[in-house]
Amino acid sequence: MPHARPDERPSAVAHKRRPLSRIDDPFVRAVARLPVTVRTKLLIAFVGTSMLLVAVGLLGQLVLGQSNNRVASLGALQERAIGYAALQQQVDDLRDLLAENVGGDFYLVWTEVEKRENSKAIDLHASTAVRHIEAGTAADRLGFTPPPGDQGALASIRDTAHNLWRELDEELIPLYADLDGTTKEDWNRVRVRVESLSRDLKDAAAALSLGTRAEVDELIARNANSFASSRALFIGVAAGALVLALLLGFILSRSLVGPIQSIDGRLAAITSGDFSGQVEVENRDELGALGANVNRMNDELRRLYTELEEASRHKSEFLANMSHELRTPLNAIIGFSQVLRDGMVGPVNEKQAEYLDDITSSGNHLLSLINDVLDLSKVEAGQFELDVHPFSLREALQRGVVMVRERATENEVRVAFDADPKVDVVDGDERRIKQVIFNLLSNAVKFTPAGGEVDVSASQVNGEIRVSVADTGPGIAPADRDRIFEEFQQTETGVGKHEGTGLGLALSKRFVELHGGRIWLESELGRGSTFTFALPARTTAP
Amino acid sequence: MTGERILVVEDNDKNMKLFRDVLVATGYRTLEATTGGEGIELASEHIPDLVLMDIQLPDLNGVQALHRLRENTRTATIPVLALTAQAMHGDRERFLSAGFDGYISKPVNVRDFIDTVREHCDRGLR
Repeated sequence: MPHARPDERPSAVAHKRRPLSRIDDPFVRAVARLPVTVRTKLLIAFVGTSMLLVAVGLLGQLVLGQSNNRVASLGALQERAIGYAALQQQVDDLRDLLAENVGGDFYLVWTEVEKRENSKAIDLHASTAVRHIEAGTAADRLGFTPPPGDQGALASIRDTAHNLWRELDEELIPLYADLDGTTKEDWNRVRVRVESLSRDLKDAAAALSLGTRAEVDELIARNANSFASSRALFIGVAAGALVLALLLGFILSRSLVGPIQSIDGRLAAITSGDFSGQVEVENRDELGALGANVNRMNDELRRLYTELEEASRHKSEFLANMSHELRTPLNAIIGFSQVLRDGMVGPVNEKQAEYLDDITSSGNHLLSLINDVLDLSKVEAGQFELDVHPFSLREALQRGVVMVRERATENEVRVAFDADPKVDVVDGDERRIKQVIFNLLSNAVKFTPAGGEVDVSASQVNGEIRVSVADTGPGIAPADRDRIFEEFQQTETGVGKHEGTGLGLALSKRFVELHGGRIWLESELGRGSTFTFALPARTTAP
Repeated sequence: MTGERILVVEDNDKNMKLFRDVLVATGYRTLEATTGGEGIELASEHIPDLVLMDIQLPDLNGVQALHRLRENTRTATIPVLALTAQAMHGDRERFLSAGFDGYISKPVNVRDFIDTVREHCDRGLR
């Protein structure tokens, strides 16, 4: 583990940098520091965005309403313009009518009598027309209520029309009754007044009509202007609302995502065993609380990890010391026994030689017990590391058979070996697998009575290599079948043999399992036992 | 029997006695040291043909003593074997890579011990 540390430092630093760059943004920082819950922040953001939408909608309605009002007022104005234009037309027609009596060459073709009759009819007609014009200025005839600004002009048209009518009806037309008594001067005098009045009337009507038309043009121009500015305002506000909503969402999401990323980074670092950093979350919401909890968890894990490392180190040291301290006296025990047994310091008799052999083998037994206990302790502590290399399982099996053959022959036990040709190179810790093979073989030979048989076989089944060691020994009772894989557990027969450390099968089981394999037992009391272990087959070609 | 001189550095008196007696019975002469410092002094004084070095010693440990021997030109070429009860998995490789010429774990098998010593003495003479 400590070796992995230096490699992880840079990544931990990178994790720390990320939140720093995030916090450079003052808006994000301000939102992060708001002392309200994430739920409230989200609610505020949603309500804010909705209110912007409502504001845009209201503004739109207002702009549409204004536009509608302008169209309505334009309609009324145009109605007025048409009314006034009609009035003007009437006045123009009247003028044309009167003009026929003032000059004109048609007198030449008419007789004097015809002339007078015709002229009188025209003037009567004109008088009626003037009455119409006078009446036409009233609101009910116009079809609309004239605005106060027009009232004066209308009144002046009405008065002028009235005066003109009186001039025609009371001054001009009576002249026709006394044609002979009327002088040319009389006619001219009246006609001049009529002409003057009709011109006034024409000017007034034209002024009214033109003024109204100008008003219409101005209103149209104003409408176009205010439509353009309304549209600009609406687009501006809508775009502003959009930008504001996006900005709100962006800032809020960054103030939430940033801390989540830095917390995630810290957790990833913790997972890979780096407890050196602290996550920096400025948020005063749930994420801030989460960050603080992650920091507390980090500190607590670091404390536990350090303690665990310390304990593990102590245990390793203890095991190494124990091994050393037990081996030192064993060196003298075994060594001096061998020196004596080999006659280096003088001859020994048969009995002495036998005892010396016993001391040596007991010493060696003790040594293997020490080795097994140490191996087991390491496996239990999770400190055992397999030295995995490709090696020939077939050769390992053959060598195992050779190692037990001497004793088997002594015991009159036949050992047969038969392996599937496919079984050869496997990936594993050769020394440990050999240890397993030797353990199973020596157990089989040990428990098989004279005349019995030990069968070693190997095959490849469903992607795993299986090695079976079958004996014709006493078999193992069902109650003992799980127990014999535990430490210091032996069958009654095994205990009776006074051999073995009682750790062989326990270690074999652990070694096989460390390789990702399994070991099991099939047995029938009185017929024999078959121990089988399976290792995963190689996935790549050797 | 060629009578090569072997320096045994060993702090346990019973083991020292065993190694001395076995080596003498085999025909070697021995020099004996119980500490690393003493071992270095004897080595530079007598230039033995082989050094058997325990690792766990009262003053210097065996690896430090080995380095001191190698630093001195007079003793630099003497073959040095680690003779130690540190015999856990990986220890052999550790000591060989530290610069020892060989490794014998305790408890020794007397016959194998003699064979290993003889092998290194012969190699040293060649």
